[in-house]
Amino acid sequence: MITQEKYRTTVKELLANGTIKMAIGYRPGSTPDRRRPLFIRTSEEADQLVLDSTCITNLSGYLVTEGLLSDEKQVGIFLRPEGIRSINILAAEYQLNVDQIVIFGFDSTGREVRPLQGRNAGDFSALLTEIKENPPLTSKEPLLERVEKMNAKERFDFWQEEFSRCIKCYACRQACPMCYCRRCIVDSNQPQWINTSSHTLGNFEWNVVRAFHLSGRCVQCGNCDRACPVNIPLRLINQRMAKEVVDGFDHFAGLSPTQEPVLASFKKDDTETFIL
Amino acid sequence: MTRILFSDKLDNCVAKWRSAGMTVIGPVQGESLSSYAAVEKAGDLSFGMVLPDRSLKELFFPQTEPMLRYTIKKNEIETADFTPPAAPRIIFGARPCDASGLAIDDPLFGWDYKDEYWFQRRNESVIVTIACTKADDFCMCTSLKQAPDCTKGSDVLLRPLDNNRGWVVEELTDRGREAFTLISEHIKESDETALPTVEVPEKFNLDTCVAWLQNPDNFDSKFWKEISMRCIGCASCTYLCPTCHCFDIQDEGDTYSGIRRKNWDSCSFALFTMHTSGHNPRATQSARWRQRIMHKFNYFPGKFSVNSCSGCGRCSRQCPVDMGITETLQEISKL
Repeated sequence: MITQEKYRTTVKELLANGTIKMAIGYRPGSTPDRRRPLFIRTSEEADQLVLDSTCITNLSGYLVTEGLLSDEKQVGIFLRPEGIRSINILAAEYQLNVDQIVIFGFDSTGREVRPLQGRNAGDFSALLTEIKENPPLTSKEPLLERVEKMNAKERFDFWQEEFSRCIKCYACRQACPMCYCRRCIVDSNQPQWINTSSHTLGNFEWNVVRAFHLSGRCVQCGNCDRACPVNIPLRLINQRMAKEVVDGFDHFAGLSPTQEPVLASFKKDDTETFIL
Repeated sequence: MTRILFSDKLDNCVAKWRSAGMTVIGPVQGESLSSYAAVEKAGDLSFGMVLPDRSLKELFFPQTEPMLRYTIKKNEIETADFTPPAAPRIIFGARPCDASGLAIDDPLFGWDYKDEYWFQRRNESVIVTIACTKADDFCMCTSLKQAPDCTKGSDVLLRPLDNNRGWVVEELTDRGREAFTLISEHIKESDETALPTVEVPEKFNLDTCVAWLQNPDNFDSKFWKEISMRCIGCASCTYLCPTCHCFDIQDEGDTYSGIRRKNWDSCSFALFTMHTSGHNPRATQSARWRQRIMHKFNYFPGKFSVNSCSGCGRCSRQCPVDMGITETLQEISKL
């Protein structure tokens, strides 16, 4: 509660003195356990701000939709550490200017919420390095371990079964801060790269393409997983690919706003003769 | 006197319907998702849930469906139609909102062009609906002037007895009576009465909302931008909706052969109205959300005299950002 009150005051101050034009946070949802995104532009709206352990959604995607930052004014945003990593990746991929983003960082243990020190993306590098060294427990997910133990055939069958429920609503894409492409490859129909049908092949194509596209970019915020209306454990795929990229390239996505994107850069002295 | 079907006889009924060549479908709780699915025995059905995660719509209008196969030869084009196989089926345990969703869509699919895929499945399906004795925070049938024991779209209505012992049977159509004649030996006359249906509080005044939507001045209201600012533009609301019916037709294959398919499409997507020129008449998410609400409560009733919403609440229940029809109409009621 103290953190929430302090942040309400800070947001009001920064709005009043014109530092930020808006702050993106959370407010109560339609049931006691739900929170919904809140766009704060006035002092009254700041009073609706809620900050507690149930504020989980990574809100950073809102920064890059419908030209919010095009007037070059500053916007505040409530972010957990993984959300700050998203900001860093978006900056590294030239989708936003970190100088426009005022970060209201927070994290929680159990029901306890605490603020994170810092306001600009660059202020959090020590914290993020610490997370890289000691990743949170979610990476030791039992279901992931179960899938890891499967042989190739069993694993294929597992994902075929999971993807059979996919309805191609693209909630995973829309909820993902990294899916900012103005025209997604599945929306391209001249030529039609990916089948639009949600049959077995089409569902595999979509989910595998997304997995590759997020490799070295996903921060495991879980937005896709929670957004999926048919409960496909999408986090497992991205978690596994993130591990692959850390192991192969020592690349922990979103460490800093200037971090070179791992799969979108190359070096002349690369030992590989082929670049994907 | 009422007519009762006791739960312990349901397995016999399932066997009877199956031996008469019918596929028996009902609410099934899967490992991670509930839906209406085919079963072989009564024990596979699950009657405890408020309603399945997925709606009944997809059994009549699947997410993807082949329409025809084409082969282009030197002097001719060969085509072969796919039509749904003749397959009589009984859907046992539909929810009233799902059954009425089908009735809402009937005029749409039969308006100028009679959609044979839809109507073949409609004609071969007996819908046995179970009145609701529980609801959750998202149920809103009463706000839509429907009810937890609405009979629209149903062939038989069942009202639960206490302790899951069975149901009071009300046959509504000839198709329903015919299906229940097959199991008449398991239906008992009794003086038992059914449990009362659940009280679903009214969440908004529909007439107020419709009047506001019909006023052309409100088309460009600031309200639309405010209410939909957090909409992320996925299709989860439209695809889980028991009445949303938009589809796209796609050819899959190459220049010489392929399959033409009918796939779900959604007004939530920017691509839905994108012109070849690059111009998009619904360029923003707020314009797309406005379209969804206007279509359901203004344009559709204007054409078919019925709102395109049965009040199941799935749009709000599953929304990744906690939006939905309920909130929007509640806010409109307050304007």
